[in-house]
Amino acid sequence: MDGSSTGIQEPLDLIRLSLSERVFVKLRGDREMTGILHAYDGHMNLILSDVEEKIMIVNEGEQATVSVAKRKMDMLFVRGDGVILVSPPSRT
Amino acid sequence: MSFFGFEEKTLERGRDNRRLGQDEDLAVYDWGEENYDGLGDALQEDHDDFNDETFGGAGDVGLAIGKDFDFSTPALPDRDRKDFARLPITRAEERPPHSEPNIATPLALESIWDDKSAFSMRLNGSNRTSSSPFLPRGESPAVSSQHRQQSGIRTLQEIEAEMRASVEQSRQEALLQQRQQQYYLEQRLLQKQREEEELLRQEEEREYQRQRLLYQQEQAQQQLQLQRLQQQQLLHQRDQHQHRRTPPPRMLPVSQSPRFMEHQQRQILYLQQQQEQQQLLRLQQLEEQLRIEEMERQLRSQHISSAPPDRQPSGPTLADMEALQHQQLQERLRQRSQSPATRPGSHRPAPLEDTLPYLPQSIQLQQRLLSEMAQAELLREIQGLSQIDQEALRVEAMRKILEAEKMEEKRRRKASKIAHMSRYNDLMTQSDKDFITRIQVSQLVSQDPYADDFYAQVYGAIVRSRMGLSTDDERVLKFGASGGVALGAPTKGGNRRPNAMQRMQQQVERIVSNARKREEEKGLHCNLQGALGKTSGRSYKAAPRQLLQVDSGSAPSSSPTLSHAQPHAHISKADSISKSSDAAANAARMGRETLSNGNNGEELVRMEPLTQREILVTLENMYDLVLNVEQLRRDQPMPEEGEEVLEQWRKDFDTLVDKMWTLLKVMLPLGTSTPHPFISLLSAAKGKKILPRVTRHFDQHRMNTLLTLLIACFSQLDVISQAALLDTLEDTPERADVERQTQAFLSSVLQSILPIIVKGNLRLVCGLVGLLMHGQDTVAIAKSRPGLALLTLFLTRVEVIKQGEVDEIPTHEDFAQWQLMFDHLFQLLTPEFPLLFPSTRMAAHLPRDQPHVNIPGIDSLDQPVWQFLAALALQASSTQHQILVSSLREKVLDNVLSAKKGWVVDEEERNTKLANVDLFLHALGLDSSQITM
Repeated sequence: MDGSSTGIQEPLDLIRLSLSERVFVKLRGDREMTGILHAYDGHMNLILSDVEEKIMIVNEGEQATVSVAKRKMDMLFVRGDGVILVSPPSRT
Repeated sequence: MSFFGFEEKTLERGRDNRRLGQDEDLAVYDWGEENYDGLGDALQEDHDDFNDETFGGAGDVGLAIGKDFDFSTPALPDRDRKDFARLPITRAEERPPHSEPNIATPLALESIWDDKSAFSMRLNGSNRTSSSPFLPRGESPAVSSQHRQQSGIRTLQEIEAEMRASVEQSRQEALLQQRQQQYYLEQRLLQKQREEEELLRQEEEREYQRQRLLYQQEQAQQQLQLQRLQQQQLLHQRDQHQHRRTPPPRMLPVSQSPRFMEHQQRQILYLQQQQEQQQLLRLQQLEEQLRIEEMERQLRSQHISSAPPDRQPSGPTLADMEALQHQQLQERLRQRSQSPATRPGSHRPAPLEDTLPYLPQSIQLQQRLLSEMAQAELLREIQGLSQIDQEALRVEAMRKILEAEKMEEKRRRKASKIAHMSRYNDLMTQSDKDFITRIQVSQLVSQDPYADDFYAQVYGAIVRSRMGLSTDDERVLKFGASGGVALGAPTKGGNRRPNAMQRMQQQVERIVSNARKREEEKGLHCNLQGALGKTSGRSYKAAPRQLLQVDSGSAPSSSPTLSHAQPHAHISKADSISKSSDAAANAARMGRETLSNGNNGEELVRMEPLTQREILVTLENMYDLVLNVEQLRRDQPMPEEGEEVLEQWRKDFDTLVDKMWTLLKVMLPLGTSTPHPFISLLSAAKGKKILPRVTRHFDQHRMNTLLTLLIACFSQLDVISQAALLDTLEDTPERADVERQTQAFLSSVLQSILPIIVKGNLRLVCGLVGLLMHGQDTVAIAKSRPGLALLTLFLTRVEVIKQGEVDEIPTHEDFAQWQLMFDHLFQLLTPEFPLLFPSTRMAAHLPRDQPHVNIPGIDSLDQPVWQFLAALALQASSTQHQILVSSLREKVLDNVLSAKKGWVVDEEERNTKLANVDLFLHALGLDSSQITM
């Protein structure tokens, strides 16, 4: 299928395909999350459910290490200005 | 007083000169010259000579005026007023921190001990004039500390030391006074005793009482005045403070020099310091006041006890009190008429208050409260209440004062906040507001209000139907064909909303009619076309401009989908054209396939299974179509609108349903790909969820086809192929995903095929079961929840048919066919019966050392299996029963044993276990109670 027949005319249409699917979202501030996308808008504000958020924390010092903090949320509103990337999760 | 480091006396003198209008032509003396003979100092040209008379004995006007300024003296009211008004500000702000030590300070301090001061006069017991309504008692520490506090920067310790000293001083003073007064009283009493005439003595006594009362009243008044003065000062300062800190936006100076800023900061610093000092001062004064009152009371009690027994009661009579009050009233009136300026803030606004932006009402309230309390205390004292009562009352009074102060603070904060906000009052005119409202409302108008407000409308319909109201009225304001405004979900009650709605409706109507008028006007102006430059059609530029100009396609029909979905509608049309040609080709091939009985596999159009993206794109298009169809259903014309309209509508509807059918790819041959495209579509959760909405519009024939395909490809479903994941114990994201998909499948897909199976005849069921077992791993299907549910569905349907509760009585051949199928199924499942239970499968994943660990909720997971086995047992023959019992004996015994021996967490689990077992045993005609351990 080419672009015109798949109904994709603008980049945001790609996100539409991921509605009610699990998506991977990269955010500012070294944050990433995966969740099921329920809604989005032109500002990339997202509503996600069943979210797991990962926060990378760089520990300063001689040996700079990276630790990962995780948390889970049932439902989340993500403000669009923090969103860097939205993609389907990598399928293994 | 040196304001800017000038020699203060000259300044003072110059001012006096100017004011008095004398000595204008005097030569200017040059004090610094060497030939100066010093005679200038001897000259009496300072005009200070009469200051004592004028200002009650204090040397310097500006300093000694402090607290003991005689406001009632009628001299020079204007000047007094000015000085008085300037006093707090002068001290607070204008005085530089490093000014030279004040020359007049010692004078002021001395005046305390000066015999000429009113204080000492009173000590001597003579000439206690009622025309001086203030008392010097509380003055000395306050004044002196105030003076000292201003001389340079000092530490807190210094301030404390000073305060302590001043307190000590005042205490000594008071003691001295007390002693003197006592002495005086005793003397007088002795003298009076000696006097023969009772009347005279009574007269004297009365006189004394009256004077004492007066004295007390004056004291109270004076304290009130002090407090008020301080409050005003504070308030004023704070006000200035605030005003400087937050100037109204429009009044902000365009640029402020750094010097000005510095000055401001310094002033703010000063003000803060001053406030702190004021607070200290007030505390100190309160303490002092309490102590003085205490001493007074002691004095009085002494006096009473020392009174001779043969005398008449010493309290004043009612007549005396009346006379006293009368006198006081008159005196007050006289004072007011004499010099209004000398009584600041008693009952008319003080000079300071005149300058305030608003008159603090609660200060007056507080004053009234205080004066009332003073009055009450006075009366109480007269009536001779006990000291304990007085103490209690005083505590009460203190509490009230504190409360009032707190209230005052609160009120002031509120008032300042309101004042702060009120800067923005009337910033916008009514037309401004209307303008903005128009812009806002105009954004709400849309071509398709129902679709734009789709979710709220649907929700509203659901809510209304739940409440038993009619569901068909759409909450949309329509304006002819041009558009409308969606009103959203209905609100519960309230009279405000309807009003707002009406107003909005009117607004929108006005806007729409205006827009129409403009449109017509534009038509008139079309002769401008082709002219250079461009004409602006928009009247208000302030309206938000559309940022993205996405071509919404030339879809002629109003799309029920959201506006951003319109491109899809457009695309799907093109899509469907290509698809329909595809479908035609496929149909032709399929026809050939069926004709050739599927022997020539090379004729089959093998395709790669749908990619994830293709699945999602197809589903999005499907959603568009479904929304279209649903909208079309809502728009179904009434029969009275004419057959033609109805026909057209039916045609549109059928076209859309055909599109859906094609898009669902059900008609692609079985072997097209693995998994089949239709099954691929069901792999996404939203694909499962949309199925009931799609199948609702399909007829029986199409549904049978769909069901056949689904059953034929059942093992290809993700929920079957990945069902084993559900048996693992650890909670992985994959497991959660499979769980989610399974739930969606059970609630959506099975729900949509349920009505067909429930209505199907034995032949259909038989065929479907055969299809399910043909070329598919029946055991794997049976080990999954959806598969088991499907099998149970078939078995129960057959049972219902066997009971004869159907219209169509099946033939014996059908029954024989079914028996064949059933035996085959039973045979297939026989070795796997125990493994059908999720609990058994999960136990395999348990660690070896603890195989009997309890998995919470496992019994509810097992329940469908027991149900299935029960359904199986109903169909089974007696030999099959024995096979069932022997293979499941262990499982049954396990459950019954753990229930009866109490190896359960709670009563609920025991009940579930027994109910599960009984479900199966009842089908065999047994019961768990028959099992003995």
